[in-house]
Amino acid sequence: MVLRHASRLGILLGLAVLPGFAAANPEVIKLTQNSRNWAMQAGNMQNHRYSGLKQITAANVKDLRVAWTFSTGVLRGHEGGPLVIGDMLYIHSPFPNKVFAINLADQTIRWKYEPKQDPTVIPVMCCDTVNRGVAYADGKIFLQQADTNLVALDAKTGKEMWKVKNGDPKKGETNTNAPHIFKDKVITGISGGEFGVRGYLAAYDIKTGKLAWKAYSTGPDAEMLFDPQKTMTWTDGKMAPVGADSSLKSWQGDQWKIGGGTTWGWFSYDPKLNLVYYGSGNPSTWNPVQRPGDNKWSMTIFARDADTGMAKWVYQMTPHDEWDFDGVNEMILADGINVKGKPRNVVVHFDRNGFAYTLDRATGELLVAQKYDPTVNWATHVDMKTGRPQVVKQYSTRAQGADVNTKGICPAALGTKDQQPAAYNPANKLFYVPTNHVCMDYEPFKVEYSAGQPYVGATLSMYPAPGSHGGMGNFIVWDAGAGKIVKSKPEKFSVWSGALVTAGGIACYGTLEGYVKCVDANDISKELYKFKTPSGIIGNLNTWEFKGKQYIGVLSGIGGWAGIGLAAGLEKDTDGLGAVGGYRELSKYTELGGVLTVFSLP
Amino acid sequence: MKGMQSIPVIAFALAGLASGPALAAGDKPYQVADGNKVDKTTLEGWRTWRALACERCHGARQEGLVGPSLLESMRRLSKDEFKQAMMKGRPEKGMPNFDGSKMVTENLDGLYAYLKGRADGAIQPGRLEELK
Repeated sequence: MVLRHASRLGILLGLAVLPGFAAANPEVIKLTQNSRNWAMQAGNMQNHRYSGLKQITAANVKDLRVAWTFSTGVLRGHEGGPLVIGDMLYIHSPFPNKVFAINLADQTIRWKYEPKQDPTVIPVMCCDTVNRGVAYADGKIFLQQADTNLVALDAKTGKEMWKVKNGDPKKGETNTNAPHIFKDKVITGISGGEFGVRGYLAAYDIKTGKLAWKAYSTGPDAEMLFDPQKTMTWTDGKMAPVGADSSLKSWQGDQWKIGGGTTWGWFSYDPKLNLVYYGSGNPSTWNPVQRPGDNKWSMTIFARDADTGMAKWVYQMTPHDEWDFDGVNEMILADGINVKGKPRNVVVHFDRNGFAYTLDRATGELLVAQKYDPTVNWATHVDMKTGRPQVVKQYSTRAQGADVNTKGICPAALGTKDQQPAAYNPANKLFYVPTNHVCMDYEPFKVEYSAGQPYVGATLSMYPAPGSHGGMGNFIVWDAGAGKIVKSKPEKFSVWSGALVTAGGIACYGTLEGYVKCVDANDISKELYKFKTPSGIIGNLNTWEFKGKQYIGVLSGIGGWAGIGLAAGLEKDTDGLGAVGGYRELSKYTELGGVLTVFSLP
Repeated sequence: MKGMQSIPVIAFALAGLASGPALAAGDKPYQVADGNKVDKTTLEGWRTWRALACERCHGARQEGLVGPSLLESMRRLSKDEFKQAMMKGRPEKGMPNFDGSKMVTENLDGLYAYLKGRADGAIQPGRLEELK
């Protein structure tokens, strides 16, 4: 009790004596260690999406009810979720990227921020204008706007403290990712893999917004912050230096300049190793015939020094992508995972390509790579010596060639999982993973690059995984040490919502129809609670405590890749063409509109 | 063959009419056989549609997604209005301006012809080939 009280005081002090009361890293770590807060988008720097709160339990979750709701006033897809620090809640919206600071005591709006953004950025974000939330540190709320402006706002007043431009929408560069605070830096990425954007990760000083470092995914070693001798990668069953020009050698000519490898996912940080972890996206274009080579370092897990940005190690999951299997999904850091009888400190990553990877996070050593959906068919397995997926020719869009429709590839480009982040329960060391269960036909064709114009080069059709349960999603429990599904709960639609797992023994997630569902964390087939929110859910479930009461909150607001079909004109039969073919039935369940719904026990 | 089909297009453009009634039945900006064989200009229009990834907003069958159904709006828009929307965009609604795209500026007539053909139900969705 005394301890709890003390930490609460600390928070109040921290908020009151800003700015510059404490170095951001210890401050944010301290905030995340107190379960009353939800101080980072994933709850902590390890991306756990776990809470130590246990007022809401498997036994009483059935009594959950809506405590309050809040409309963002914005349509389109609402990803990310609320931050809670002390007595304040911070929530964001898709374009125009509004931010609201809400007083938890009476749910009044303390301040509101709405940036002025050039609307020409909207089409460059085609086809949805999502944003994955704000970050907190040093008395500031950080917003990564769609137009690439990164803004620091005074957490008490909403006043702009600094603003920097992270990219150029005229070149197709936009932002959808949440900023991440690691140490004294705010780390952000870039979107635009479908516009030939050359991806990078950038670190800015949280006090001033000054650029500390910028590391590209492709190109010369100096611009990628690679040391040819010290940057390591899994090679022939062991870690070895990448060598000089590792990226340049894997592209034809200057193609790396428009080569993609964008960085719009969820990053994590290990304070002891001082390493930042993140993934890079697809190589541009989607037509593999046009870009021979491994296209390094697209589709790669990176571990970089937080101070300098230098790459410690890299691992490319999908060399020479032929399916748009972006590698940007969240990097989850877990300790003491049992791999072949030995406890390992690892990074776990559920890739779009359908494989879940477990790597030693200090060294980059590849430990486990297994399918987390049994329908995955584009590769038979990952060769553990070379680290390369063994591609099945029938599903190779490169081998089948341009202007050929390669059919029946599983998973679809949406991936077995997209950005919707998984949760990790340190108590049982298991992962709770929202997944897609969708396959596709893929026809690449030749495209020319023109700055700021779409650079896609493939026509896709997506549909529920054939020969399965008929649904387009599963909520699964994963053992990352063994590389095995522990349990799988089928869902009608993709589970496109970030999961939450708590010390109260529950796991919760949202569905595209709009349900918040809580299941027994020890047996996810037991659905304990279900409530229909105002719109489909692609946001993430977060939890906090205020005045002795535990709350669970989530943004609903259908949209994003899976939900775009809900907009105009979808009553026409699409015969399963496009991302939305399989999702068109969603219109029976839900409509657009962003609302935060907050739950508690009576 | 190309000349034949382009005559009504020119006449239409010169007349500057707001909608299609002036076009007599048969005066189509495209030629099509079997639903999937089209004249060269229309074929290039379809290739432009595909290359610029229009389906990401308007749907693989032009049925509308985030963007409106072109099956509907192509019945309403004059060719000038269509060209205006393509060149200048409708940024507040999410429609990009394509005046910077060489492929679009060079194939605007073909793109119009293709989408007209789709809206008329004369051209099938999906892959097309050249009418020989």
